[in-house]
Amino acid sequence: MTEQAVTAPLLRVQNLSLRYSSQDGPTPILSDVGLELGRGEILGIIGESGAGKSTLGNAVLGLLSPEFEQTSGTIEFDGKTIGTMTEGERVALRGRRISAIFQDHTASLDPLMSVGAQVEETCLAVDATLSKRAARARAIDLLARVGIAEPERRFRNYPHQFSGGQRQRIVIAIALAGAPDIIVADEPTSALDATVQKQILKLLRTLVDETGVSILLVTHDMGVISEITDRVVVMRKGQVVEADRTETILEAPANDYTRKLIAAVPKLHIAPATTNAAQGARQRGPSARGDGNSPALLVAQGISKQFGSQGFVWSFGRSKPGMGLRDVDIRLPRGSITGIVGESGSGKTTFGRILAGLDPASAGRIEIGDRVFDISKSGRRNGLLGRVQMIFQDPSVSLNPRMTVAQTLDESIRFGAKAGRATGPADAVAMMDRLGLARSLSTRYPHQLSGGQKQRVCIARALLARPEIIVADEPTSALDVSVQAEIVTLLKDSIAEQGMTMIFISHDLAIVQQMCSSVYIFKDGRVEDFGRSEFIFGGSDNPYTRTLINARPHRFTC
Amino acid sequence: MGMISVVTGRFLQAFLLLIAMSLIGFIGIHSVGNPVFNIVNIETATPEDIRRATVALGLDQPIWRQYLVFLDNVVSGNFGTSYIYHLPAFELVIAKLPATLELASVAMLIAAPFGTGLGLIAGRRRGTLLDRTVLRASVSALSIPSFWLAMMLILVGAILTGWFPSGGRGSTASFLGQDWSFLTANGLWHLVLPASALAIPNIALIARLSRSGTIEVENLDHTRFCRAKGLSPRRILLRHTLPNISVPIVTIIGLQFGGMLAFAVVVESIFSWPGVGKLLIDSIQLLDRPVVMATLTFIAVAFVALNALVDLFHAVLDPRVRLSSQR
Amino acid sequence: MKARILSVLKKRPHGPVMTLSKLLLTTYILLAVAAPVIAPQNPYDPLQIYGWEASSPPGTTGSGGYLYLLGTDGLGRDIASTILYGLRISLVVSIISSAAAALIGLTAGVSAAWFGKWVDVAIMRLVDLQLSLPTILIALIAIVTLGPGVDRIILALIIAQWATYARIARSVALSEANKPYMDAARLMRLPTSRIIFRHLLPNSIAPALTLIPIEVGHAVALEATLSFLGLGVPIDKPSLGSAVANGFQYLLTGQYWISLFPGLALFGLIASINFVGEDVRRSLDPRSKSL
Repeated sequence: MTEQAVTAPLLRVQNLSLRYSSQDGPTPILSDVGLELGRGEILGIIGESGAGKSTLGNAVLGLLSPEFEQTSGTIEFDGKTIGTMTEGERVALRGRRISAIFQDHTASLDPLMSVGAQVEETCLAVDATLSKRAARARAIDLLARVGIAEPERRFRNYPHQFSGGQRQRIVIAIALAGAPDIIVADEPTSALDATVQKQILKLLRTLVDETGVSILLVTHDMGVISEITDRVVVMRKGQVVEADRTETILEAPANDYTRKLIAAVPKLHIAPATTNAAQGARQRGPSARGDGNSPALLVAQGISKQFGSQGFVWSFGRSKPGMGLRDVDIRLPRGSITGIVGESGSGKTTFGRILAGLDPASAGRIEIGDRVFDISKSGRRNGLLGRVQMIFQDPSVSLNPRMTVAQTLDESIRFGAKAGRATGPADAVAMMDRLGLARSLSTRYPHQLSGGQKQRVCIARALLARPEIIVADEPTSALDVSVQAEIVTLLKDSIAEQGMTMIFISHDLAIVQQMCSSVYIFKDGRVEDFGRSEFIFGGSDNPYTRTLINARPHRFTC
Repeated sequence: MGMISVVTGRFLQAFLLLIAMSLIGFIGIHSVGNPVFNIVNIETATPEDIRRATVALGLDQPIWRQYLVFLDNVVSGNFGTSYIYHLPAFELVIAKLPATLELASVAMLIAAPFGTGLGLIAGRRRGTLLDRTVLRASVSALSIPSFWLAMMLILVGAILTGWFPSGGRGSTASFLGQDWSFLTANGLWHLVLPASALAIPNIALIARLSRSGTIEVENLDHTRFCRAKGLSPRRILLRHTLPNISVPIVTIIGLQFGGMLAFAVVVESIFSWPGVGKLLIDSIQLLDRPVVMATLTFIAVAFVALNALVDLFHAVLDPRVRLSSQR
Repeated sequence: MKARILSVLKKRPHGPVMTLSKLLLTTYILLAVAAPVIAPQNPYDPLQIYGWEASSPPGTTGSGGYLYLLGTDGLGRDIASTILYGLRISLVVSIISSAAAALIGLTAGVSAAWFGKWVDVAIMRLVDLQLSLPTILIALIAIVTLGPGVDRIILALIIAQWATYARIARSVALSEANKPYMDAARLMRLPTSRIIFRHLLPNSIAPALTLIPIEVGHAVALEATLSFLGLGVPIDKPSLGSAVANGFQYLLTGQYWISLFPGLALFGLIASINFVGEDVRRSLDPRSKSL
């Protein structure tokens, strides 16, 4: 580290301002941005959506579309200014000196070319002296290095034959092919599950330590920052608000915005704080089959779901992809919030939709109060539909784009709660006030609202229908971190106020811990582990539960 | 979905399509007058004559039986005998086939490379003057009514300048037991105008579709990643963009070839090109129903077959279809 | 929606080609409406036609005392008047058939998406069947089966075009029906009619409606082609297509004007509809904006 102080930085961005020209005139994207990246260093760039962090990454790669215009500043790489280079010089730079890893591992690879060939062509492109044979050997070597098992055999496989994590490893292998000085990694792990994310970050750190490559890591995730970066640049609305060593930023942030960002990251508590809690951590709590003592509002038993083709002749090419459920039991105590945690493909969303009566199950029974529902049927016919409301993940598609906020809420009161028209508008206004939605928003259409506002409207809609149970399916994962925290608190408080019962589906252990009194861990369509929150996070010795907890960034675990 | 299920699915679909078409054809035949009056004289026939003719044509049978007989005839290529030429209708169609096939092929040999090339260039220089010109020219070209285009080609290319003949196939040479125009200089000369008439709208269409295909592929992340990993623009174009665009382009070309067989109807009747299309129009005007049915069935079957071929080709080209997932 | 279309037509900045197309299209519509007033001759009235003045070149003054601005055809009809009257037939036929095809196609497509199961299978197999054949072939089969006449040609064009709308409407409705806001509507136990008319339809029809202008252009071309082949409108009431066809036999003897001018008029009509239609589609479909 002391060396860096003397030698010139590998990459230096000074006073960079960029704007984007569209039909509506130019919009500033970056203003007066400066940063330095030294050799063998991982520099994190963190910010929420609209911070301009990806644009900065693309500017370093020289891959900005022509609509972007640089109004001031310079980007210097190894003493040379990138801005004044010809496209030919930039091509010569890319891959050999500066390469990239993008977020979407599916889209980064050419679907029509075998992965081996894609690594190989990069080796040939960056080193013209290489023979075809040497390039192939090199490619196999690279694949092995990023952790692809049996690289010789998998050389000829196509991208779609690999899992998401493996595809991102292949992308990293390609980025490494030219032995570059800098890799620009734009959200390299955001599309991956936490456990896979952990492995990929570890791989990146190892590569930096072994090869001395520098990484410019663009992310929205403070966890990623805390895991592998040496230094951080915090960005907001196109400006750098703070830049320092990662330790310093995390422990003693100087800027208010940075403090807010860090505070907004939910923290997972694994060490029992009190002896009472320690006691609790040793007890799993009542089983889903029930001990009969504590009153349960909802009992679901043996829920299974199989996906498959529904006949050959008519459905070829239309069989639904999806994960099944196998024999899932769940028990919801009245007035509680129960968490369902799982990675992608664990069946947690499928289960939520069956509970809400939206999709049929292949087997199993659901009991609410004294009533048993026939869940082999879907829609209206199962009687379940309408007793449970849902809050969905992506608020931008959860509201009818052609209905105003008032119309949406009114529909919920009139049809969902079956309430008379007279009290409707007053109820809606009261709910908007409660959820922190300005009354003036009631005449707006969804596209005129921010993401957080839209999600509040969705919550209002669900609450106004006065259901006994609400299923919230990842209600915060499409939102910026600072908004996430507000929504989580709001949701928890209003559920308690209304005396409702909630199922909270999430992949984020810390939020689940914060919200839920008991937790079910889903894996491959089964309940892998369950119990009271204290038990799951403090005392469970289930290996998968432990893996999930350990995949959390340590900085945000206490 | 693996290769085998694509193939089975495709053939099943083609089969259903043909069944449906035979039903439509059957209904069509029955809705256009009583075929009995084609063989008896309506003025002089006695009720006994009509009864005998009805039995002879099998019209006294239950309707499903008539359909089966019709189906059997269609499958064996027996559409009846032409009222005009007194030849089996299907043979007549087959005899006219080489002329149409050669016209459509030559037109496609012109249209495919020109269209693809223009589309690629325009797509890669999106927003430039060149791009806008190509786009506008293609919308204009697609707006020209095909028959009027053919007539104007005759007006300019034959009547005003006298450079090309205005119609007919010219001299032909024999190859594989059929007569072909493209084997003689005179025949080729006769091909120029009709082939251009067929090719021009197709150049426009292929150019448009390959332009939007190019733009779509170039906007994909993997093209950006190819740039980021240091490939030369040339290699990206040849090894990544082109293969990815070729999937939609092959589809378009395949379908348009079928479309040409149909549009040959117009062009052939204007240029007196003795092909399947001219046969169809002549037969419609002469009420030669067996030939009409045979021709329409033939064009439809050819189209279905082309569709199926295109899909199979697509499956071969795209590993996501070719290889089932091995995750 | 309506306001959006209007604002698109008004505000969007565009080049000379678009201005010209809009101007041309407006002129065509005005001419078609005013045809009986401004045409010097009624080409459908045999009493107004002077057979001995057949095939007069442009600029001849006829016995009626008016100038044959674009000449006369083989029967002595004034070409300019034929174009004006033909324009009416072409426009009426294609607008009626496109509107009807859109209505039928939308209903069929949205029904297929909403009801699913056998309704979907039945409708979509028929649509697949149709769309796997060239439109001109479908129109040809339909008109051969139906026989000649203006009403028949409208029917034939509807048969040829409904499937395009149905396919688009279904795919949009299907993707809308799977969005969470539709799930939310179901969870409210809304009446089916309300789900369809308040939620599904308003969000599904826009992309299909933007097809209409382009499909009107197709319909004009299809009608003209059928008429040219002698399968469309009756010979005594020529549309633009049959007017061109009438001139075909005279082309070879050098009387080019009989087919040249109606053809030019037809080309201008289709081109202006296509340019305006493309513009409408592009500005209403955010996805194609970038293309």
